[in-house]
Amino acid sequence: MRTPIRFREGFRNVSSLSRRQMLGMSAAGFGMLGLMSVLGNSQLGGNTLSNRRYPLPRAKRVIFLFMNGGPSHLDTFDHKPALRKAEGQHPSGKLYKESTATGFMPSPFVFRQHGQSGLKVSETLPELAKVIDDCCIVKSMKTDIPNHEPALLQMHTGNIQPIRPSFGSWLIYGLGAANENLPSYVVLRPSTKIVVGPALWSNGFLPAKYQATSIDTSDLRVEAMLSHLKNPEFSFAQQREQVDLARRLNQLHRKDRAEDSALEAEIEAMETAYRMQIAATDALDVQKEPQHVRESYGSTPFAQSCLIARRLAEAGVRCVTVYYTLKSNQPWDTHTNHDASHKKLCVDSDKAAAALIRDLKSRGMLDDTLVVWGGEFGRTPYSEIRNKKKAPGRDHHHTAFSMLFAGGGVKRGFSYGRSDEFGMNVVHQPMHVHDFHATLLYLMGLDHKALTYRYSGRDFRLTDVHGNVAHDLID
Amino acid sequence: MKESFVYLSKWKWFGCCWRVVFFIARLVVFVCIADVGWGESGGVAVSKRGVIDRFVAGAAKDRGLALSSEAERRVLFRRLSFDLTGLPPEERLLEEDSGSWGRGAVEKFVDALIASPRFGERMASMWMNVARYAEDQAHLVDDRVETFYPNAYLYRQWVVDAFNADMPFDRFVRLQLAADFYDFARREDLPALGFIGLGPKYYQRNRLEVMADEWEDRVDTVTRGLLGLTVACARCHDHKFDPISTEDYYALAGVFASTELVNAPYGEVPKEAASDDKRGLLYTVHIVREAEPRDLNVFVRGDVERKGPVVPRRFMSLFYQGEPPAFTEGSGRKELAEAIVSPENLLAAKVFVNRVWQMFFGHGLVRTPSNFGALGESPSHPGLLEHLAERFVDQGWSAKRLVREIVLSATYRQSSRNNEVFAERDSENRYLWRMNRRRLTVEMWRDSLLFVAGNLDYEGGRSMELDDPQNHRRTLYGRVSRLKLNPLLQRYDYPDPNVHSGKRAVTTTPLQKLFLLNGEFVIKQARMFARRLQREATGNRERIRKAYRHLFFREPAEEELRIGLDFLAEEGESNSRWDLYAQTLLISNEASYLD
Repeated sequence: MRTPIRFREGFRNVSSLSRRQMLGMSAAGFGMLGLMSVLGNSQLGGNTLSNRRYPLPRAKRVIFLFMNGGPSHLDTFDHKPALRKAEGQHPSGKLYKESTATGFMPSPFVFRQHGQSGLKVSETLPELAKVIDDCCIVKSMKTDIPNHEPALLQMHTGNIQPIRPSFGSWLIYGLGAANENLPSYVVLRPSTKIVVGPALWSNGFLPAKYQATSIDTSDLRVEAMLSHLKNPEFSFAQQREQVDLARRLNQLHRKDRAEDSALEAEIEAMETAYRMQIAATDALDVQKEPQHVRESYGSTPFAQSCLIARRLAEAGVRCVTVYYTLKSNQPWDTHTNHDASHKKLCVDSDKAAAALIRDLKSRGMLDDTLVVWGGEFGRTPYSEIRNKKKAPGRDHHHTAFSMLFAGGGVKRGFSYGRSDEFGMNVVHQPMHVHDFHATLLYLMGLDHKALTYRYSGRDFRLTDVHGNVAHDLID
Repeated sequence: MKESFVYLSKWKWFGCCWRVVFFIARLVVFVCIADVGWGESGGVAVSKRGVIDRFVAGAAKDRGLALSSEAERRVLFRRLSFDLTGLPPEERLLEEDSGSWGRGAVEKFVDALIASPRFGERMASMWMNVARYAEDQAHLVDDRVETFYPNAYLYRQWVVDAFNADMPFDRFVRLQLAADFYDFARREDLPALGFIGLGPKYYQRNRLEVMADEWEDRVDTVTRGLLGLTVACARCHDHKFDPISTEDYYALAGVFASTELVNAPYGEVPKEAASDDKRGLLYTVHIVREAEPRDLNVFVRGDVERKGPVVPRRFMSLFYQGEPPAFTEGSGRKELAEAIVSPENLLAAKVFVNRVWQMFFGHGLVRTPSNFGALGESPSHPGLLEHLAERFVDQGWSAKRLVREIVLSATYRQSSRNNEVFAERDSENRYLWRMNRRRLTVEMWRDSLLFVAGNLDYEGGRSMELDDPQNHRRTLYGRVSRLKLNPLLQRYDYPDPNVHSGKRAVTTTPLQKLFLLNGEFVIKQARMFARRLQREATGNRERIRKAYRHLFFREPAEEELRIGLDFLAEEGESNSRWDLYAQTLLISNEASYLD
C-alpha cells in the first residue's frame, strides 16, 4: 500500500510575509506547515528567510552520487591526448603535489564520441556514454585543498573545517519538506565507514529539523536500514490505539494551554511519525521493484542504493546522497595500480548511474531531478609511485577535475568549462565548489546570497562570500 | 537603553566618567522602579518582592503588562526540581505531611535542591556547551585515535564539583584558562585546563593555516563563551559592528599560538601502560600548556600567506583607553584570565548571569547569550542585568546565591498561564508577564524517564555510550563525540560539539516521535515504570494515580482516570496493556514540558 504523497512547491517570496502573519495563517487553518518549517522554529527567533524573488526552480530534488576518494577526470570525461605526447615529462610550475615519479601519464583508455552530442566518454563508462545526450559534463571543477578531509568538507559544506551545515541541510532549510511523511534529506552509505563521516551531512548550526537521516545500506532489509521504524513488541493496531490515547491525553493537556502552538506541533509530529512507519518502510524497500528494474541497476550495495535513492526521490525526499564506498572507505583514491582499479570501480558505478538516469527519464522525473556524479577532487595527470611493487597511481588533484550532471534543468548533451591540454588547470569557465553550490541552489530555486542563517553574530551562507551561478550550463 | 548594556564603543569615549554617570542613572531608575505597584493581576504579596521583581514589574507596567500570580505549588515544585537538578520531584512530596505546602516550604525546597549534588550536574549541563565539550575529533584518519580525549570526563567532573562547591565564578574562569599559573590551584584543578585543552584538533596540524583555524576555535570559545563577544569575526577583517579590530583578534590568537594541547600524565600510571602509547593515554589529562611564546602577524584577510604587522599578545583594545598593555608572563593566559574577570569589567559577570537566567526562563535577558555586541539583541531589562551582575560580583561571584535569588523571585514563581490581553501586547513574553512554558532538554527528559522508572544510576566518572542498554546514568555522563554525535543527542537539539554554543534550538520532528514510539530505551523504561506502578499500588485506579504523581507530580483528573481505566480494561495480556499505557504516558506532551 502506498501512502498518498502531498507535494509542495518550493516557497518563494517569503520575505513579504512576516513570521507573525505566517503563524496567524497557520492558526487559521491554512495548513502551511511546510512554510512554517522554512521559517524555522518559533523558539529560535531572529531567523527568517529573506528569499527574494527568484526564478522558478528547475529541480525539485537532487541525487548526488558521490565517488569517495576522487575519481580521475583524465580517465572518465576529460580526454587529454597531449598526455601521450608528453608522457614522461614532468609538469612545470609550482605544484601542490610534487611530481616525483615518471611524469605525465596518459590514460590507457580509449575515448569515443557518443550520441547526438558527440561528447567524448572513456571506454570505462560505456553505460553513461549511452545516456550522455541527457548529461552535462563539467570539466572545470576546482577545490581549495587536495586532501580528502578538507576537500570532502568543502564539497559538502563549502568550508574546509567540520563546523558548517551541509548543502543538503541548507536545501531543506530553504525549501521545507515535500513529503511530511518522510525525512527530507537522506544519506545512503553502503558501508559504515566514510572518511570525515557525519560532519559531511551535518546540520551544523542549523536547527535539528534540517539534519540528514543517514542510512547504512549494507544490509538492505528495511528494519536494518532505519531504526525505530517498527515497534519490536506492539502490533500496528495496538500502536494505533496508543497514538490515539496519546492524542486524547495531549488534547486534555492542551485545553488550558490552547495558545501554545508548540504543543500542537508535537501532536502533529506524532501522527506524522506514525504514518512515516509505513511511508519510509515502503520507500526504502527495493524488494517492491520489479526484478528487471533491480537488475538494470546492478546488484552491488552502491547500485541498490541508487535504486533506493530513486524510490526516495519519487516519494518526495528532496536531497539524497549516495556514497560509493566498499571495504575501503575511499575506493576511488587510486594511489597505486590506478588503471586497473579505476576500470574496476567504473563497472558498477557506471551501470548504476546510467540506470538511474534512464529510470528517472522513463518516469518523467529527470526534468526536475538533478543527478550529480563526482568526487571531492580529481587525480594528477602525472604518475605517482607509492609502492614499487605495484603499478603507478595518480595523486590527488584539485586545480581541475570533472563532474557529470544530468536533468534538473541543466543543458543536455553539453560540455561546460575546459582544462588545459594536460588537465592540470582550468582555463575556461572555472567552476569552483562555491560556484557549484551556487548553481545547485539556483536550480532548486534558491538564491545562494539570500539563503542565510544568523548565527554567532553574523549571517552565514553555504557559499560564504563566494559563488557564482553557472548560467551557461542551465537549459 | 542599548548604551547602558555593553558600552563597548562608549567605553573609550567616556573613559572613567561613564561609570559615575551610569551609577547615577541607575540610582534614578531604581528609585523610580521602587515606587511601582503591581498592576491588575497582582496576587504576589508585597513582602515577597525582591529587587528582581521591582525591575521586572516596572518594565511590565510601562508596557501595560503585569506579572501573573504565583504558580500552583505543585507546578512550582516540578519546575524548581527540573531547573535546579534536572530531575522531577520525589512523588512523596505531594503528601500533605511532607511539609511542601506550609510557609517557607519553597525556600526550604530550593535550599535543599541547591545543596544536592545534582545541582552541579545541572549547571555543568549548561557549561558543557559553552566549553564545546567533547571526547574526540571530527576527523578520524586510519583509526588513529591519538588526538582523541578518553579522559575528557575529568574536566566534566571538575566542572560538576566546582558548581557543587560553589566555587566563585572568577576563580572558575581563572582555573580553566590558567590553572598552571596560580599558586592557589590544587592538583585536582589541573583538569580545568580542559576548557582549552579539549579543543578540536583539525586535520594536518603541521600546516600553518590549519593551526590558524585551531587558534580561531580557542579565541571563539573564550570570547563568545566568557565575554559574549564575537571576536572571531575579526580574523579576516575589522569587526563590522563592534569595536574589535583585526589586531585585537591576532593579539588573542597569539596567546593560543603560544600554547599547545597535551596529554599530561595524571594519577598513577601502571608500568605496563607507560610504554604503550594507546594505553598510556588512559592515564593522562588533556590540557593546555605553555609553548614558546610568540606574537603573531596579522594575516591579511585571514590569509596566512599575507603577513601584516606583528601584534603583541594583549587583551582587546575596547577595554582600554589607548593601547592595552602587552602580556608578559609566558603565553599570557593568566593575564587574559585576569582581564576577563577584572572587577573593572562587568562583561564576564553579565554574560554568565545571563546564561543562568536563560536556564530558568528559556531566554536570557539578552536573547543572544553569546553575542552582547551590536548585532546581538539588546537586553529586555538592561538595568536588571546590570544589577544582577554587580550583585553577583559583590557577593563573591557565587553561582548558588545568584540562582537562589532568581528562583525565589516572584518573577520566576509566576504561573505560565496565558493572558490574552497581555499576549496581544507582548506575544514573545519579553517582559515576563508570565513564566515561559519550556520543553525539557534532552538531558532532563532522558534522566526523568530513568528516574520515574526507578532506574537512575547516579554514578559519574568515565563516559558511557548513551546507546549502551546498560547505561542508566545521567545523560550528562554520556559520551559526547565530535566525530559522530550520539543520535539521541542529535535528534533532540544537542548542539554540535565542534563549536561553542550558547543556546539550543528547540525543534519538533517526526524522527523524535519515531524514537518515542519504537525506541528500545523508551520501551524498556516504560516496562520498568509499569512494573514499578504494579509493585507500589493495587488496582488500576491506584496505579494510574501513582503514575500521574510520579510523572506529572499531580493527581489525575477524573476524565484522565476514566480514559486510563478504559484503556486498561481492554482485552489482552495485562502486563502488555500496562506497558503500552505506561509508554503512552512517558511520551505524552506533559512529560516533556514544564509549565
